[in-house]
Amino acid sequence: MMHMRGLDRVLVIGLFLSLLLLPFPVKGAEPYNLGVVLEFTGTGALYSRHSYQGIELAVEEINKEGGFLGKHPIKLFSRDSQSKPDVGVREAKDLILREKVKGIIGTQSSNIALAVEEVCYEYKIIHVIANSNAEAMTVSNYSPYTYQIVPNTYMQATATAVSIAKNVKSKGWKTYDTIGSNYEYPHSTINTVVEHLKKTSPEFKLAKQYWPKLGETEFSAYVTSIIGDKPDFVYACVPGSDGFALFRQGNSYGLFKNVFYASGATFLTEMMEMKDELPRGIVTVLRAPFFANMNNPMMANLVKKYQAKFNQYPDDFVPMQYDAVYVLKQAIEKAGSIEPENVKNAMKGMTVNTTRGSLSFRKIDNMVNCPSYTGIIADDPKYPFPILRDMVVVSGEESWRPESEVLQLRDKADLSKKRRPEELKF
Amino acid sequence: MTGNQIIGQILSGVSRGMMLFLISSGLTLIFSVMNILNFAHASFWLLGAYFTWTFWKILYSPIFGLWASIPLAALTIGAIGWIIEVILIRRIYDRTLTEQLLLTYALVLIIGDLIKLTWGVADRIVPKPKMLSGLVNVFGSPFPVYYILVISLAGFVALGLWWLLYKTRFGRRVKASVFSREMVGALGIPIHRIYTGVFVLSLIIAGLAGGVQAPISSVTLGMDMSIIVECFCVMVIGGFGSLIGALVGSLIVSLVYAFAIMVVPKMALVLIFIVTAIVLIIRPWGIFGTAMRT
Repeated sequence: MMHMRGLDRVLVIGLFLSLLLLPFPVKGAEPYNLGVVLEFTGTGALYSRHSYQGIELAVEEINKEGGFLGKHPIKLFSRDSQSKPDVGVREAKDLILREKVKGIIGTQSSNIALAVEEVCYEYKIIHVIANSNAEAMTVSNYSPYTYQIVPNTYMQATATAVSIAKNVKSKGWKTYDTIGSNYEYPHSTINTVVEHLKKTSPEFKLAKQYWPKLGETEFSAYVTSIIGDKPDFVYACVPGSDGFALFRQGNSYGLFKNVFYASGATFLTEMMEMKDELPRGIVTVLRAPFFANMNNPMMANLVKKYQAKFNQYPDDFVPMQYDAVYVLKQAIEKAGSIEPENVKNAMKGMTVNTTRGSLSFRKIDNMVNCPSYTGIIADDPKYPFPILRDMVVVSGEESWRPESEVLQLRDKADLSKKRRPEELKF
Repeated sequence: MTGNQIIGQILSGVSRGMMLFLISSGLTLIFSVMNILNFAHASFWLLGAYFTWTFWKILYSPIFGLWASIPLAALTIGAIGWIIEVILIRRIYDRTLTEQLLLTYALVLIIGDLIKLTWGVADRIVPKPKMLSGLVNVFGSPFPVYYILVISLAGFVALGLWWLLYKTRFGRRVKASVFSREMVGALGIPIHRIYTGVFVLSLIIAGLAGGVQAPISSVTLGMDMSIIVECFCVMVIGGFGSLIGALVGSLIVSLVYAFAIMVVPKMALVLIFIVTAIVLIIRPWGIFGTAMRT
């Protein structure tokens, strides 16, 4: 009996010791806590679900190799901003203070991203934006901790305007209408296009501008009024469910058969999910379509893995979020450290490999020179949804705001009151 | 401004107006008979659209799918209405307007969250039947066939309600109970059954309207809040509690909107509220309301 008890004791002690050892990783380096603030509920939910899948996929791949620098496994902390800026701020602060995250990626709507940008600035946390694209984030509200890897509103609108200007010349267009939901994003997008067209095609006259309210479901009166105006061209920026209602009602009135139509807010997500009712032959601008980059091994790998895991093609948002994690990885490798301050400095002006090719951050605004993809929505036998035909890829350099204008806008917004002087020297 | 443009705006305005009428007719009926302002009425309309999607998914028949789903959804909404009337609404007949609004507004939030739980946040899409997706030419303006269905449904509901209220025994009892609840009760007519009937009927109409709305836009959260505001404008303009007022008010609201879009697009939304405010100042009880009742 005594003998058995001794064996028991050894067993118990052994078990206890092994339990103590278990929670510690072999290499002993601390994990990298990565925060994600997305809109899992509310207006942005359709896009955010896919965004998160892109992040998960990248994190999985990197963790297989041991994490950042091969020794800092990434721990993901995701929070729902409910599509509300105040909730986004609360969640971002909580991620930083409680979960000790060293970086935040994600954020969908620009109003939430702008709020999160301020939180990251306050706590000196690295912030990589991969969805939200209001220009203000890198221009009038620039923060040295925020890096942008999505073509911003200005770049997307310029790209659209470039392709419209070509048509104005070749088709002899005279007048056009615009229609946009009545909030920040459509207003700034439409204004940029209108300003650009004023410069490049002064003879092309803006006939009428429509601003339906956010949440409108009945666009018939807008559609009939546009048909009555008889414009050569309509530029629209009506995102989300509203845009879908506009498509349906425009279709039922035969609008797209009679008028050349360009949409500033039809993403690949819509092209995939609403393929049955989406009008063909209209022009749209995309941010990161996989089909334009299949010769890039990083994109090809992402598409293959994404298909295997989720049984569908990735939309615009998946590659950008996936890129965000890899941009962070490359910056950490360059810095040789996971500390946000070092990573931020390493990222300045850095060239990164992405699913959209090799891209570089511009020093003045931390904006990556990513291209915008415009083209005509058309069916393709290779895919179960329409893609872009006659694609024009407008590079970052061709479409971003000139540096002198960036500085002017910052002066106008009194950015020097919000940021320290050394942060605004480039 | 050409003749064609004017016809185009009239047609699109009237189709919008008929959808408003389908919702505000029930709203007004509930208000006039039961003296309850049902803030959640458009939420039942939205629920009708979601149920239409569900039934359409279950039946999955390209020709009969939608035709069967809409009435099924409407009846489901009616059944839900019956339960809610018996459990909740019955308890607030005699309460103040503020308390009623509190309860019905709570219903809006509850229904919204239940929709989120049941159907999720993604948009639900019900396709239009092929035979109704064409265009007809009305005095030189293109007009989608589907809207003819909306307009005829509204006409049918308007006539049906008129017949029910003025030509049947049930209607006479309903009208009597508007004027004297106690007297009707004293005559041995079960008043709460009349109330339940009116509530369920109004919700069936809302459910039908929601089902018909589903193929027009996508079915999405928040649609209810955006349309209920316009329905209140309709009631203020037409007169609280007047059916003919709901019809005329719907037409005024939607036509003002349609023409404002054409003439002063920036002012379109504001103009409806300006008209509403003017009516409130000049005739606080609305065009067809009676000063007595408000």
